[in-house]
Amino acid sequence: MTAPTRPPTILEAVGEATPGYRWVLLWRWPLRLTHWVSAATIVVLIVTGLYIANPYFVTWGEASQHFLMGWARFLHFTAAALIVAAAILRVYWLFAGSKWASWQALLPVKKQDWKNLVKMIKYYLLVRQEQMPHYLGHHPLQQLSYTAIYAVVVVQVVTGFAMYGIANPGGFFHTMFTSWVQPLFGGLQVVRFWHHALTWILVSFIPLHIYLAFRADVVDREGELSSIFSGGRFVKSDVRFEDE
Amino acid sequence: MFFPSSHPWVDGETLREHLEERGVSRRDFLAFCAELGAILGLSSVMTPKIAHALQDQKRPSVVWLQLQECTGCVESVIRTAHPTIGDLVLDVISLDYNHTLMAAAGHAAEGALHDSMTANRGGYVLVVTGSVPLKEDGIYLTIGGRTGKEILEEAAEGAAAVIAVGACAHWGNVQAARPNPTGAVGVSAIVKDKPVVNIAGCPPIADIVTATIAHFLTFGNLPKLDFDGRPMFAYGKRIHDQCPRRAHFDAGQYVENFDDEGARKGWCLYRVGCKGPASFSPCPIIQWNNTTSWPIGAGHPCIGCTERGFWDTMTPFYNRLPDIAGFGVERKVDTVGAALAVGVTAGVAAHAVATGIHRARQQRQLPVVEKEVDRG
Repeated sequence: MTAPTRPPTILEAVGEATPGYRWVLLWRWPLRLTHWVSAATIVVLIVTGLYIANPYFVTWGEASQHFLMGWARFLHFTAAALIVAAAILRVYWLFAGSKWASWQALLPVKKQDWKNLVKMIKYYLLVRQEQMPHYLGHHPLQQLSYTAIYAVVVVQVVTGFAMYGIANPGGFFHTMFTSWVQPLFGGLQVVRFWHHALTWILVSFIPLHIYLAFRADVVDREGELSSIFSGGRFVKSDVRFEDE
Repeated sequence: MFFPSSHPWVDGETLREHLEERGVSRRDFLAFCAELGAILGLSSVMTPKIAHALQDQKRPSVVWLQLQECTGCVESVIRTAHPTIGDLVLDVISLDYNHTLMAAAGHAAEGALHDSMTANRGGYVLVVTGSVPLKEDGIYLTIGGRTGKEILEEAAEGAAAVIAVGACAHWGNVQAARPNPTGAVGVSAIVKDKPVVNIAGCPPIADIVTATIAHFLTFGNLPKLDFDGRPMFAYGKRIHDQCPRRAHFDAGQYVENFDDEGARKGWCLYRVGCKGPASFSPCPIIQWNNTTSWPIGAGHPCIGCTERGFWDTMTPFYNRLPDIAGFGVERKVDTVGAALAVGVTAGVAAHAVATGIHRARQQRQLPVVEKEVDRG
């Protein structure tokens, strides 16, 4: 949605000048920053995390000459701090951002959205393609899956901090996280198990997410990909959007 | 080692008098106090305070209950690193009531327990080893016709302090592992109205027991405990953070088999299932059997015996992560996870192909003009 008080940006101007199209701003920079910081840190966290879980290659020579696991853990913890910072920005943006990025867009609530969820599933199953509902922001299936990914990341952060805290019992992270997470899961190894197991959900999410984003752009021609770079989409003027 | 004393510590005699009686020098006693202070994490200026507090102690009454257990904790405790003086503290314990060490049996033994609890009501230290079975009204453990729960409740009621020694008294140990057929629980599940100190481990290091009792006698209160009731002075640090092999962990040098080059070089045991990163104990510092050695020092991974539920959560002992229950034999989390990731990728590829075929079919059905427009 464009703010009426300022002059149109170049993309909006191009949209207006293109017959049959318009340009809609959806994601302002905080949301895009959140996305790209999360993307980069999740990749770093997965690679370093899988090494920490199973150090599949070893170094030779004197221990004092190497710091491989040390670096892996340092990168893991630094990336964790960055993704938490991104998450804090995202939580702020749930209240300050556009209506497509707000907390109201986290889950489908309206009856029509649940009907559209079924239509989206059918669309992805390649049946009843012509009935595909059009959304400017996230369609209901996206809302459900992205919010589920948020939930996975929250569990990863909480279990991660619980394990981080054990190096300093009585310290901040131990008091804030380990003291209740450890009894809740029934032991540190169980915390470790779930932290490790949920990683595979994030690993699996990457190909799925990239494929569907490209697919929406290539097959549906709705400018999905460019919205996460430029913040907005060129859309056909005559399409009616469910969430406009 | 434990010797029955020819000079028993009699009522009214202070520890100092008793030590002189047994021929323990003042120097030895102060050295003992300094070591206790070190275990407790106190500054050396506290040594005289410990010495003062201990030397003036009249024979304190300690009752030692042995419930559902293997007596391994008693074996460990009588191997405390300081036989002469440590035994004196334990002499006290054995005098009142302790199945393994006491001479009395049958009604005489139960009578000794009853007498001690009545005479020192509100003042004795209760040490418990072993868990309490609760299923079928506790019939899986009866002593003198009474269940463990009854005996423990009665003994705890008049105790000044309760010290649960060993993993059984801590949370139930192997008999409480799934499916826990006897319904075994630890002391803190029964004794709710007073603090219970858990000296964790299977068995725990003897000096922690001695130091905890010494702390109680010196300061009149129990040491600071963590959220699981374990004394912070002993269980306040991870084994992993005190491990002499830690440099190999950070460097990325791991034993992969127990007969490989890394094992000979004393590398980190992380990949052969060491649970040091999840276990809290002073094992690397105090060690065992008069500081002779300890599991990791002997080349074996830590099994995490100081942690609640370790038989269920730390197993398999030679694997990094627990097994998935209900996923079939030998199916590990990485197998399932990698299968998920590969499956999703394959699904995505199949979907892309299906989309292409579907689009191609649709386009063939469309009129020519629209096709042009669609191609942009």
